[in-house]
Order: sequence, then C-alpha cells, then structure tokens
Amino acid sequence: MTVTISPVVLRKVATNEAIDAELRDAIEQQQLFDWVLHWQPALYERLKALAAARVSPDNWPQSAHWNWVAKLNEIKDLLAHQTLCVVCEGMTQGLMRVDTVGKRCRLDSQKGLNLVYIDYLEVAPWNWDGPYFDPPRYRGIGTILLRAAIEIRLAEGFKGRIGLHSLPQSTTFYERCGLANRGPDAAYQSRLPYFEMTPEQVQAFLNRGSGK
Amino acid sequence: MTTSKRTMTLNLTDAEMRVLEELCSKKDLSKTSLLRQALRLYQLVEARIEKGDKLFFEDEKTKEKAEVMML
Amino acid sequence: MKFYISKEWCLTAAELEAGANTLGAGILAMNPGPGEMASAPSSEGDEARIAFGQFVTLARRQRRLAIEALAKAADLDIGELLAIEQHDPHFAPEPRTVYQLANFFGVSRARLMELAGLTRPKNTAFVEQAIKFAARSASVAELNKEEQAVLEGLIKVLSEQDSR
Repeated sequence: MTVTISPVVLRKVATNEAIDAELRDAIEQQQLFDWVLHWQPALYERLKALAAARVSPDNWPQSAHWNWVAKLNEIKDLLAHQTLCVVCEGMTQGLMRVDTVGKRCRLDSQKGLNLVYIDYLEVAPWNWDGPYFDPPRYRGIGTILLRAAIEIRLAEGFKGRIGLHSLPQSTTFYERCGLANRGPDAAYQSRLPYFEMTPEQVQAFLNRGSGK
Repeated sequence: MTTSKRTMTLNLTDAEMRVLEELCSKKDLSKTSLLRQALRLYQLVEARIEKGDKLFFEDEKTKEKAEVMML
Repeated sequence: MKFYISKEWCLTAAELEAGANTLGAGILAMNPGPGEMASAPSSEGDEARIAFGQFVTLARRQRRLAIEALAKAADLDIGELLAIEQHDPHFAPEPRTVYQLANFFGVSRARLMELAGLTRPKNTAFVEQAIKFAARSASVAELNKEEQAVLEGLIKVLSEQDSR
C-alpha cells in the first residue's frame, strides 16, 4: 500500500515553536506499534492520575479501551472506510477512521445527503489538554484530522459535510471548529452528543487563519 | 493511497441513465461520484454477507424485517 | 490523497485548540448504562469486567446463540447484553442479569458477580486468573480451538470453590 504524505505544521507547546509534521492518508503498521508501545502506557498513567484525583469514571476519556488493531481489521480493504494519521518527530500523534458510505446527514437543512462520518478520532494521550494532565505536547492535531475528513470527499461533491459523536470531554473543541451540536443522541445508549457540519460552516473552517 | 486514476467507459441503457441522473439530482452528486459511492457500498455489503451477516430492510411502523436478497 | 494545508492555517488551528480538549470522537466510546459503578475504579476492575464480557460472548457463541436468542432464553434485556459484550468496563450490569447468566451458563453465581465487578472479590487471585484467560478475539465465526480453550479456562476458574 502506498501512503501519500502531506506536510502540515503543529505547535510544540513547550518551546512554542512551529514544528513540521506529516498528515498521512493511511494508518500503517508503524502507527499500531506506536499505539501499543507508547500510547497505551501513557494512557494508563493518565487514568491512574484521574483515579487518584477521584474523578468519576464517567468523566474519564472513554477512548481508554479503544483497540486500534481491531478497528483496522474491521475495515480491511473496504473502500467505504479510510484511515488517516498525523506523525510528528517520529511518533504517531493522532489517528482517525472515517465512513464515507454508511451514514447520512441529519440536520434538517441537509437531511439525507452524503457525509463523511468520523468513526473514531483519537490523539495521543500526551497531547490531551485538560485538568489533571500535563500541558499537551503538540497542538493542532485534532483540527488537522478534521480538515482531512472534510477534504476527503470534497471534490466528489459531499461539500465537506462531516458528522461525528463527540466524547464528552471534547464538545468545546468541535463547537469551536464550527460544527453544529445536536445534543445527546437518543438513538444510541451512549447518548454522546452528535455534531454535524454544513457547507457554510465548512467554508468558514477552511478559511480560518490568513483568509486562505 | 496514491490516487492514480484509471479510466473506464460505461454503456448504460436509456432507463439506467435516467435513474442515474435522477439519483444524482436527488443526492447532489456527480455521476462519477455516485457510481464510486455505489461501488463502495456494494463492496461493503458483499463483505458483510460473506462474513455471514444478513441485510434487512425494517418497516419503521411495524418493525417487521424483510431480508434483502443478495447474490 | 494529497492535502494542501498552509502553515498559517495549521498554526491558527493550534491556537484555537488551546483550552479545548481534542481527545476524540467515537460512538462506541461511551456506554454509561443504567447504574453507577458498584466498586471503585481500578484498571484491574476494568480488566475483570472485560473478561466478564468476553466470557459471556464466548459462552454464548459456544451454544451457537445470537444475542437476541440468549436474551430470550435467559430472560434478559438485549440492550444490557449488548453493553456487556461490547466490553465497556464502565458499564455495570444489573445483579439480576449476572445471576441469570450464571444460571444459564452453569457457573458459580458468586464468582460471576465478582468478575462483573458487582461484589468485591474475596480472592483477587481468581480475578487475575480470569483476566489472564480472557482472549481478545474479534471473530464472529464459531469458536476456534484457541477460543474453546479460553472458554474452558474461564469456566474452570468460575466454577472453582471458594475454599481453595
């Protein structure tokens, strides 16, 4: 499998420098190694910190039991699903899996139209931002992956529409990116809030920064 | 995945072309996009069926399920 | 597919992320379930619950039962069974559910309750053993030899008497 690498830039928080990174259009073996060997231990450290701080498990990052090997096996060779990742300074920083076929828009203004649904999006534990954690190592990963999800079918006419169920800790992030928050999804037991983006919101999102 | 595109010529009957155009209009997609989506969906469904799963339509009101026959 | 994302856009994005947790997204991530967690959170407790879910899945598949069929046969709620089998460690099953499952599968009720995290295990070594036996199979076909062995191990552990 040939992966296409696109250059992106992250903010390295400790030094405040802008640092080169890669947006890759497939998750490969190296990402799985990084996930097992580096993300997992870092994850358990943070979960212990949360437990020690007596934070209710309801507020723990629920991605703690995600298994990316299984997530990849589920979609092996399927065109409908794609995976992407961000790599920086030789380490996987973010992972994403999308579904470009199985879901449709729910917002009234675009009901039934095709969208790219984000099955899973996760950034490495050392990049989490929140109380009880050290400051994130890098910033920008989640937003870059969102943009990738938007652009994947942009040329094919999806107009950049995306949808996702947000982990409770991340709703502020998606709201800031301009997605519409439809609130807890009653259709699913988990009741995670469902977010969707309209073409107008997509344009605003893509034009952030120096009006590009 | 490197996007090295391959070209294909497709012959459709009048009826098929009409359906294609209707669907494109309804779904606001180009003909190429729609057919590529159809291919992805077809592969997805085939993969599930090969695994042993069944594809159903469910009547929203009665909750009755009708199996979609797949070859 | 190639992406063309400017440096300025990236850095603005990074700026706007400050203070917002970009942890992630995923529908299967959360499954709070109907009840509170009965025991204090611990990673071993989570693993035990995963082993519990794994046991239910394997035992069910050994009997060639779909989740629906098991729910009917054991007089249980399908939603709860799904949550149990999805291995969500933060979902606490109802005590009655665990009792029904133990009866249906013919294993010790007390042991299964401990594994499900509903009671504190008297003997934590048993919990450790159960965790060790839990496989991470994602297969939907009938049980292979490995899974069969795992299931047998789990049943053995779940059937052991307290006085060991």
